[in-house]
Amino acid sequence: MAEKKNLKSYLVLTKAGIMEAFMFRTSLFLNIIGNLAYMVVMYFLWKAIFASRSETSVNGMTFEDTLVYLSMAGAIFSSLEVFLVWKMGREIQSGEFALHFTKPLDYFFREFFYVAGNVILQTFTTLIPTFIIVGCLTGWKMPLGVNLLFFPVAFFFALLLNYSIDFIVGTMCLYTQSFWGINIVKEVIISVMSGAAVPLAFFPEVFRNVAMYLPFQAIYNLPLQILISRSMTTVDYVKAIGIQAGWFLVLMLIGRLFFRRSSKIITVNGG
Amino acid sequence: MDTGNTKVKRDFFFYPRIYAMIVTQSIKSKMSYRADFLISTFGMIATNLAGFLSFWLIFHTFPSINGWHFSETMFLYSFSLVALSASQIFFDNNWGLRFQLRSGDFVKYCFRPINLFFYFVSEEIDLKGIGQMVFGIVLLVYSWNNLSIPVTAGNILMLLVLLFSASLIMIAMMTAAAATGFWIINSGMVMVFLFKFKEYAAYPMTIFNRAFQLVFSILIPIGFMAFYPSLYFLRPESVSPVTYLTPVAAILFFYAAYKFWMRGARQYSGTGS
Amino acid sequence: MSSVIELNEVSKVFRVLNRHEGMKGSIRDLFSRDYRDVVAVHEVSMQVESGEIVGYLGPNGAGKSTTIKMMTGILEPTGGKLLVNGRVPYENRTANAQNIGVVFGQRSQLWWALPVIESFKILKEIYRIPDDVYRHNMHRYEELVGVDELYDKPVRQMSLGQRTLCDILASFLHDPPVVFLDEPTIGLDVSMKAKIRELILSLNQEKNTTVILTTHDMGDVEALCRRIMIIDQGKKIYDDSIDRLKQFFGAYRTLKIMPEKPGDLAAEKLDDYKEGLVGRLPGAKDTVFSVDGEWLSILIPEDKLPLMNVVSCIDSIFPVRDIRIDEISTESVIRKIYEEAEAMRHG
Repeated sequence: MAEKKNLKSYLVLTKAGIMEAFMFRTSLFLNIIGNLAYMVVMYFLWKAIFASRSETSVNGMTFEDTLVYLSMAGAIFSSLEVFLVWKMGREIQSGEFALHFTKPLDYFFREFFYVAGNVILQTFTTLIPTFIIVGCLTGWKMPLGVNLLFFPVAFFFALLLNYSIDFIVGTMCLYTQSFWGINIVKEVIISVMSGAAVPLAFFPEVFRNVAMYLPFQAIYNLPLQILISRSMTTVDYVKAIGIQAGWFLVLMLIGRLFFRRSSKIITVNGG
Repeated sequence: MDTGNTKVKRDFFFYPRIYAMIVTQSIKSKMSYRADFLISTFGMIATNLAGFLSFWLIFHTFPSINGWHFSETMFLYSFSLVALSASQIFFDNNWGLRFQLRSGDFVKYCFRPINLFFYFVSEEIDLKGIGQMVFGIVLLVYSWNNLSIPVTAGNILMLLVLLFSASLIMIAMMTAAAATGFWIINSGMVMVFLFKFKEYAAYPMTIFNRAFQLVFSILIPIGFMAFYPSLYFLRPESVSPVTYLTPVAAILFFYAAYKFWMRGARQYSGTGS
Repeated sequence: MSSVIELNEVSKVFRVLNRHEGMKGSIRDLFSRDYRDVVAVHEVSMQVESGEIVGYLGPNGAGKSTTIKMMTGILEPTGGKLLVNGRVPYENRTANAQNIGVVFGQRSQLWWALPVIESFKILKEIYRIPDDVYRHNMHRYEELVGVDELYDKPVRQMSLGQRTLCDILASFLHDPPVVFLDEPTIGLDVSMKAKIRELILSLNQEKNTTVILTTHDMGDVEALCRRIMIIDQGKKIYDDSIDRLKQFFGAYRTLKIMPEKPGDLAAEKLDDYKEGLVGRLPGAKDTVFSVDGEWLSILIPEDKLPLMNVVSCIDSIFPVRDIRIDEISTESVIRKIYEEAEAMRHG
């Protein structure tokens, strides 16, 4: 019975998260336009890039594949931009952070459900419209089968993963005054090593191998591969989700341990 | 008591002198935060490096973008980085405008007998932008050499003029975006939205069709931030007239943004009754 | 001779959007033409001469800030004529700024992260203060308040009192004919308040600077102002000397009585006490009862009711241990003015 009550309280926060996100109608609107702009630029850019080689398929990807890949990567990025690190960093600096310990629910999960609300909103306002538009632009050449069922699942895990990483980075802010630097490094590493800026297919072999062993590619590369790859089987899809889930567990554990260790510092410092 | 001081005679160096004083002191006080400076600069360079890497990866697999090769793209990229640095370093206070308006702190700028915009801009300086500028300059020199562009006095002069103009474009864009804060609440989002477009400044404008070339020349003028000015050095045999338009466009855009900002500032009346 | 500050039927009207509730309302507001006019300042006239220290008072929302903003060139009047140092402030913002000083109680205008001496140096450049004037003023400041001890301290590290001190010094640095001080002593302890009042007085006397002092603190008013202006609901309701103020409401004195039994001094019982007194002296209906520490305080309008009459009845209230008679405080008179203005509005 206690579990049900807990879940209910978390869900209330999700609703609150959605409502707050709704308040930012302007940000939604600008987000959508921004995504469209990104899509347009990527369209022209990669059309020109592919024009420099005679083959239509390079390293397994065609122009259409690349466009879908990058557009959806951009949409995922928008959806995940939940500014958790900024929020944590700001709250730590202002001292608000200490208040979190007075609230009854577990911080990690509390923030997560709050964030989930925002993401649900983004899914419907950003992810789906982008998919439809880029699908039309490329003549729906992407595989349209079971992968479309696995993609949402993979997106969900991408969210979890991104959240865990943000959580760890946000906790780092307890140690340093400037969170801008840490956050920007995180974003840079993720955007390059996850295949978000440039598809992993175009990486030199060595780099690609390194990237595959890192958790970042589970956020972008894996879900996007599920979406566009013609060579993956259902088993492959499940394997991919499994990798995501595995990374999530690892990062969540690290995050919670790190957070617990670091929270002691706040109580020592007195906020 | 001197009441005759009504018509203040100011010499040509009035504003530069005041700016130098304020900025020198600002830098001095910031240098005491060594860790912060180092982390920020590191972050800045990491971002630039990532941009460089992205291009490198693309060119590892593909020979050119619309006929523009790696070295040329590096020229464009580094040119844009240097051009963007000016806005980053010197006009950083724009990012804080909306907070100062809401809190009422903005009124303090209105009480001094100096230009409002000048005073506002002089308040903040962002040192991490220097990291970006240095990175950009190094990469620019490298690309310049790679492309065997002749090092003549004329070229250097044009480079400085064009870099300066390109900087003004970015400054104009961010100033106009920030100025919306005088009228709307969500100016921060407008600023972030426009800020993202700077990423595309390194791409050759020729990849776009006519319509978008126009958009990126007149509406969100990223074309003038790197591509059009760079043509002077990258395609010296057939310099497009648009290249020579860069300084003109820069002055026009900056003037418009400045007027817009001042309009907002003059009708701001603070908080309280 | 023309005055330093001259206001002639100055008005300020704001157009405020009538906002509506909810999301539909917000969208409608974007296209709405539904405005209403809010009169913040209504045909205020005043003339201030050189060297005066004028207390500018009024309840919150009365229009004080609005008038100050018009005088400092931030707001443009919607009607009337407003001149500061012979200039229209809004149209000559920089020229006007050259000849005024401004201090906002809580918000420093000095450069936050820099040692305060650097702020002074920068101001010297901004206001084009000649070297000898600068040196003379700084030297005087060192003598007056020992500001040299603070030179190397960044403003951010200063206490509120030190910060305000420096802000005031900065506002007088370029020898402006007029200085606007907005709540300069707010949030300060008693000794700091005294120090600041002394400073303002000295500077006013030495430089013959006109000072417009906005404040809620009666201590400021009594220490510094010989003239008071009161604004309420955008209208000026009093403009005269402080002495006249006390006469304005007739003679008032406060009778203070300390009860034998401290328990008798209860806020709930005040109405009963007053009723009791009115029963004995009908003229007592205009008195004001309040509790002031250990004393029961009775404000008595002496033209209607001689104080001594009340004294002879006080044992009817409760057994008295001690009495005291206070002259009218400016504060209570001003409070009365606010109350009367409020009553007239609702009456």
